Amino acid sequence: MFSMYVPILGLFALAAAFAVFSVAVAPFVGPRRHNRAKLAAYECGIEPVDQPLTGGRFPVKYYLTAMLFIVFDIEIVFLYPWAVANDALGVFGLIEMVVFIGTVFIAYAYVWRRGGLEWD
Amino acid sequence: MGDITAPDLSLAALAPLLFVFGAACVGVLVEAFGPRGNRQPVQLAVALVGTLGGLVSVLLLAGRGEVTAGGALAVDGAALFLQAVIAGLGALSILLFAERALDPARSAFVTSAAVPVGSPRDREQAMSPRVQTEVYPLATFAIGGMMLFAASNDLLIMFVALEVLSLPLYLISGMARRRRLLSQEAAVKYFLLGAFASGFFLYGLALVYGATGSIRLSDVRAYAAVGGADVLLVLGLALLVVGLMFKASVAPFHTWTPDVYQGAPTPVTAFMAACTKVAAFAAVLRLLYVAFGTSEWTWRPLVYGIAIVSMVVGAVLGLTQTDLKRMLAYSSIAHAGFLLVGVIALGAGSDGGGSGLSSTMFYLLAYGLTTLGAFAVLTLVRDGDGEATHLSQWAGLAQRSPLTAAIMGIFLLALAGIPLTSGFTGKFAVFRAAIEDGAWPLVLVAVLASAVAAFFYVRVIVLMYFSAPAEEGPTVGVPGLPTTIALAVTVTATLVLGVAPGPVLDLAQRAAIFVG
Amino acid sequence: MTLTWYLVLAAILFTIGAAGVLVRRNAIVVFMCVELMLNSVNLTLVTFARATGTLDGQVMAFFVMVVAAAEVVVGLAIIMSIYRTRRSASVDDANLLKY
Repeated sequence: MFSMYVPILGLFALAAAFAVFSVAVAPFVGPRRHNRAKLAAYECGIEPVDQPLTGGRFPVKYYLTAMLFIVFDIEIVFLYPWAVANDALGVFGLIEMVVFIGTVFIAYAYVWRRGGLEWD
Repeated sequence: MGDITAPDLSLAALAPLLFVFGAACVGVLVEAFGPRGNRQPVQLAVALVGTLGGLVSVLLLAGRGEVTAGGALAVDGAALFLQAVIAGLGALSILLFAERALDPARSAFVTSAAVPVGSPRDREQAMSPRVQTEVYPLATFAIGGMMLFAASNDLLIMFVALEVLSLPLYLISGMARRRRLLSQEAAVKYFLLGAFASGFFLYGLALVYGATGSIRLSDVRAYAAVGGADVLLVLGLALLVVGLMFKASVAPFHTWTPDVYQGAPTPVTAFMAACTKVAAFAAVLRLLYVAFGTSEWTWRPLVYGIAIVSMVVGAVLGLTQTDLKRMLAYSSIAHAGFLLVGVIALGAGSDGGGSGLSSTMFYLLAYGLTTLGAFAVLTLVRDGDGEATHLSQWAGLAQRSPLTAAIMGIFLLALAGIPLTSGFTGKFAVFRAAIEDGAWPLVLVAVLASAVAAFFYVRVIVLMYFSAPAEEGPTVGVPGLPTTIALAVTVTATLVLGVAPGPVLDLAQRAAIFVG
Repeated sequence: MTLTWYLVLAAILFTIGAAGVLVRRNAIVVFMCVELMLNSVNLTLVTFARATGTLDGQVMAFFVMVVAAAEVVVGLAIIMSIYRTRRSASVDDANLLKY
């Protein structure tokens, strides 16, 4: 019965090989251009600061983004069971899911048009 | 893995819900893509088409009785009657939302609710001619949730519907253009207490599921009929009832009601007082009749007790109020108690059932129309700071505007239950049903509470007609078309249901059927 | 190990949440207590799903999670709007509406 897991082990091996290969090869083939951004703690995201810039409070923008993230993120909870049982559910499940995603998309269109996704 | 059979889905039976929710989604899209200039008329049209379309499709479904959507929804006489009431009252409330002639700023709603109160931008937007249009899709979603609530045949759907109707209400009760701090405070209180109550409802759901292994109301009924005294089930029922009674603003779960009714924009208060009450009682009736009808001993003492508490609290505390919106809020609590008198007489266990169900349904229709009209009158009487709701400001109103005073008088008499108004017919029907059921001590309390409550309604009438008007009193605004229509409909209905209630009582009688 | 202990734990969590709503003064904390109540319900639901051998309880837990997320969004928006004006999220400071 362990033969069932052979593809997964294969995937593990492939992923590990790809990671090792990328890290090993990058210094030899990549161009080297140093700049300030590359020396920062994170190449993406927010620069850490010693003192809070705004009196210890985060700007309201974070809150809005977090809020939108939560509400769209949680929809995944319905997508996973559907994805797992897709074969059994058939066309009916597909139609239901399209309707569901459609309504979520309406909310997304609203957020986008009203500037909820703009940072500045 | 075998194929899962798709649940039966009768689109015809779902049409009213699809209509209303569809309109709400269109409203959101209009908000996203529509031009700002003429959004208001477009949104009003979409919301009215949605609610009136929902009403018409409910009427077309009349006489149906089926369980659909895999058993989650019951489209039966009672559901359709109450859905029609909710859709109709919802359409009238949306007309009140759309009133532009009364407030100098052309709307009862703040343009941008996110702007902090008192900031320069707040003063700027107080002057701006732009109006808030997001309330229409929000209210339409709430109406859809209420209609789903009335038809839910499954505790989970009931919970989802409860949230779908509550979440938009939390938001729109915080959107008043004037007295914004009060409005925001009302929203916070409503939200925190509402979330607390829905937690209780949910725990009740979980316990009922644990006791019976199902959340379908018919399965619970089958289990309760043979199960006998099951602690888990009875505890679950009690928690479910607490959650629903909160929404129905029944004492002792009423503490949010006066604050929220006072702080919310008056059109929203009208909407909450009329539609939320109908929806909450629709769910109470279905839960107690379908799921626990065969085990009345589990809930009868509980409902008996809170009916008395609610009538007494509403009537006695209503006496002490000096603000009309708060007074009507306590009146709403007292009326919730009267409605529970009808609930006691459901008689689901006996053959053919009692007349409690049909009389409660009629009472909901009559009370919804009257209270909506009463709050609509409150939007007319204004001073420089918005609506003048203090009792003293209403002194001598009949001399300033005889018509307004007369209309308000009719509504107050109906709320007090004076003959020839809808309030009397409703109370009479409910009390008679309870006496037939043998609950005469409850009816005695109800009659005494009505007498006490009548005092504070009549006090307002006396004040309007027999007091000298105050210097620099409020002015009575001339309403635009939307409020005029809403007032005309509610006054006519209040009188017609009082003078010739026969056809509607018959209709309620014939519609008083639960399937499931 | 019996399932009863999970139910007892959930009941204790629910009670802590309910007590927190009643005694805490900060609106955010009150709200977190409500969330605790909802999550204790989730625990109850999955325990009963296991006990009764049905899947409904797990599906219901999903629904509760989604509804709770929607509630968080609405609730935080309301609490934020009042906080930005008053600089306080205490429910005791919200005291304009009285008799």
